[in-house]
Amino acid sequence: MENAVSVSQLVKNFVLKKRAGMRWTESEVKAVDGITLSIEKGQSVAFIGPNGAGKSTTIKMLTGILHPTSGEANVLGCVPWKERTRLAKRIGVVFGQRSQLWYHLPPRDTFELLSKIYEIKQDVFKSRRDMLIERFQLSEFLDTPVRKLSLGQRMRAEVACSLLHGPEVIFLDEPTIGLDVIARQELRDLISEWNRENGVTVFLTSHDAGDIQHVARRVIVINHGRVVLDDRVSRVRRQYLREKVLSVKYADTPESISLDGVKTLKESGHAFKFEVDTLAVPIEKVMSEIMRIGSVVDITIEDPPLEEVIAHIYSAPPSEFGEDAADDDDADENESKS
Amino acid sequence: MSKYFYIALTSIRSRLAYLGELGSKTIFLFVVLYIFLCLWKVTYAETNQSSLGGLSLKQMLWYLVVTESIIMSLPTIATLVDQDVRTGALAMQLVRPMSYPLNMLAQTSGERVLSFALNFLVGSIIALTFVGPLDFNISGIAMFLLLIPLSFALDFTIYFLIGLAAFWLEDTTGLTLIYSRMTMILGGMLIPLELFPDGWQQILRVLPFSAIVYGPARVFVTGDLQVFLSVLIQQIVAILVFAFVIRIVYNLALRRVFSHGG
Amino acid sequence: MSWLTSYANLASAYIKINFKSLLAYRGAFISQMVAMFINDFVWIAFWCLFFTRFPVVKGWGVNDVITLWAIAASGFGLAHMIMGNALALPGIIMRGELDSWLLYPRAVLPHLLLGKSSASSWGDFLFGIVVYVIFVKPDLPHFTLLMALICSVAVLFVGFSVFTGSLAFFMGSAESVSTQLRIAMITFSTYPSPIFQGFVKILLFTLLPAMFVSHLPVSALRNMSMIDALYSFGGALGVLFAGIIMFYVGLRRYESGNLMEMRG
Repeated sequence: MENAVSVSQLVKNFVLKKRAGMRWTESEVKAVDGITLSIEKGQSVAFIGPNGAGKSTTIKMLTGILHPTSGEANVLGCVPWKERTRLAKRIGVVFGQRSQLWYHLPPRDTFELLSKIYEIKQDVFKSRRDMLIERFQLSEFLDTPVRKLSLGQRMRAEVACSLLHGPEVIFLDEPTIGLDVIARQELRDLISEWNRENGVTVFLTSHDAGDIQHVARRVIVINHGRVVLDDRVSRVRRQYLREKVLSVKYADTPESISLDGVKTLKESGHAFKFEVDTLAVPIEKVMSEIMRIGSVVDITIEDPPLEEVIAHIYSAPPSEFGEDAADDDDADENESKS
Repeated sequence: MSKYFYIALTSIRSRLAYLGELGSKTIFLFVVLYIFLCLWKVTYAETNQSSLGGLSLKQMLWYLVVTESIIMSLPTIATLVDQDVRTGALAMQLVRPMSYPLNMLAQTSGERVLSFALNFLVGSIIALTFVGPLDFNISGIAMFLLLIPLSFALDFTIYFLIGLAAFWLEDTTGLTLIYSRMTMILGGMLIPLELFPDGWQQILRVLPFSAIVYGPARVFVTGDLQVFLSVLIQQIVAILVFAFVIRIVYNLALRRVFSHGG
Repeated sequence: MSWLTSYANLASAYIKINFKSLLAYRGAFISQMVAMFINDFVWIAFWCLFFTRFPVVKGWGVNDVITLWAIAASGFGLAHMIMGNALALPGIIMRGELDSWLLYPRAVLPHLLLGKSSASSWGDFLFGIVVYVIFVKPDLPHFTLLMALICSVAVLFVGFSVFTGSLAFFMGSAESVSTQLRIAMITFSTYPSPIFQGFVKILLFTLLPAMFVSHLPVSALRNMSMIDALYSFGGALGVLFAGIIMFYVGLRRYESGNLMEMRG
């Protein structure tokens, strides 16, 4: 199968000039220090790492904004920084700081502008636009000025904008940040649906472990400009994302909980913090047990923070991970859907 | 009294931090003064006169230095008052009527004086380079030093009034714009009153604009006693009139604030 | 050729959406236009007063100055009505907003310039034409030539704004420097050209090309001189090319990531 993206030993150094009084000191910063990866067409990849890890720099090189210091990259058969405009027609981008939607006008006007920017034929544009409106449920606010929309509505419209010209690869940078739980899930569903049904390759960066689990099938962790982990989400999940943290507050002292896979992390008065191994015990069972042992006043369910997950990755032996092997895809697909 | 002086001083000190603006003022003044030098040089030559409107070429350029310095030193009085009206800060002060205008005057005067001084310094250096020093006369300078603070005070009262219009108008920037442009044209920023069409001169000597801009500049370059006296009277009368209007408007505003519940 | 139609279509799409966006705040739009009108009118008032007292200066009368203002104001207005981002270029470069424009399948410069329309520029544009028609009362040939010269001056102003704005690729304080240069350019462009002699005159034909706004177009209209009109167009194109080159040289530097500060 052809690769949508292939990167080989990509390096990007910046020269950082600092002023100390009257003198200038130059230091070289290795933002990207030899990244090699390849992504097949139709894959859905999460590209994660702490701030300053080199994520945005890599994406900028893949989208043609930045020229690398050395190394090669190929996106859909184009060298991004050499064939920027040709590639731009075939990729879609949703970057956090950048909003394509015109703030004082309804999304409909931005759609029309985009059809002119990308020179989409009118009939193609209309049918694709109407399909996006239907699938993303935009009709209720299509004619409302963007400044009046909620963040969730805006993000749906933004993602729809990035798909209007029928790209084969989309780059999404923190698309769910700031969204409430429902909006977040809606957006995740839309993106993964688009990936599955339209075969669009998805390249997603996020700080949210939930994004990774629900949208991506593969995760690449990058730190200090290098790839430190490149594996299927299901496997990473098995290792690091299996735990959920439940914070429960009871009306009075509950009975003690004794369930395999549930560990009590903290206890203070009527407030408890449980750690649940979702692969050892189904969450449904845990929930009913929690309700059974006492009268629940408040409950919060959280994924472990990504920083913790990444820190955990470093402490695990390196022989556990390697390049993605194209085996047992069906089994993993079933697992990641749960 | 000392309280207001302190406010003025603090305002000056904070403006000193904005010395970076000096560069842009310099370039602008340089361009304007240079261009007018060219224009007047040509005009004096073509009309074969050494004195136009009672001013020599040298005096004409120095006249411009003063008028530009006055115009360019304008602080955002109306905007400040407008904001205070809308945020309700002014309403809170209405119980002690005199402190707010005096506060505002002290605050903006510090700014204005410093700004004027800087503009004047820069403009003088440029004028010295272009046409050389003016034939200084002490009386002219003295008259100028007397008229300038009154000019600023008068300008202040009018802008203050415009700011008060915020009680009734949605937006006072239109009024501010119109008044500032009228000051430029009818105040004789670019041409002294003597060169206006005859019919105009009579009217303009009554209107406040020339008392703010033309007056101080004219006496600075010629030390003309007649001009000085008429401008002085013009300024004093205008200040009294506008101060009176402010009082009335203030009371109206007070009534409006209390009837609307503050 | 198809490149031309492609970008003409892009331009009309942007003009349409920019206008719509400005209309969304009709009140502010109109008041900004009116404010510019008043600002510009002050100068016409000044010149009328001046020329009442001094009817002819170096062969220029009040009609000539009004012609000059019509060309300069409408030219500046047209330039920034359509390519309003020319004024915002230094800020766009320094805030890394170029990246957004680089993601589109379009040549960066024309696309980003079209991205915004300056509301007050519409006032400038209308002012010049209105004042010319009312004061000079032109016949059709003169009016047509006026429109052509307005387009020429618009091209020049875009080129100049791009040139000075592109300084942001090379220096940190480009925003204030380019504002100063722009103010100087506009100021020099709105005074009768014959008053400038010698070294300054040369300067105004080269580094600060105000003569291509104040001298050549006005004399072209005065004498219906096609030569002067051609010189005006030539000068405008020259400034435009200088701006384009400056921008793309800077862009090369930007894309290699060697800007003064590292972008996030």
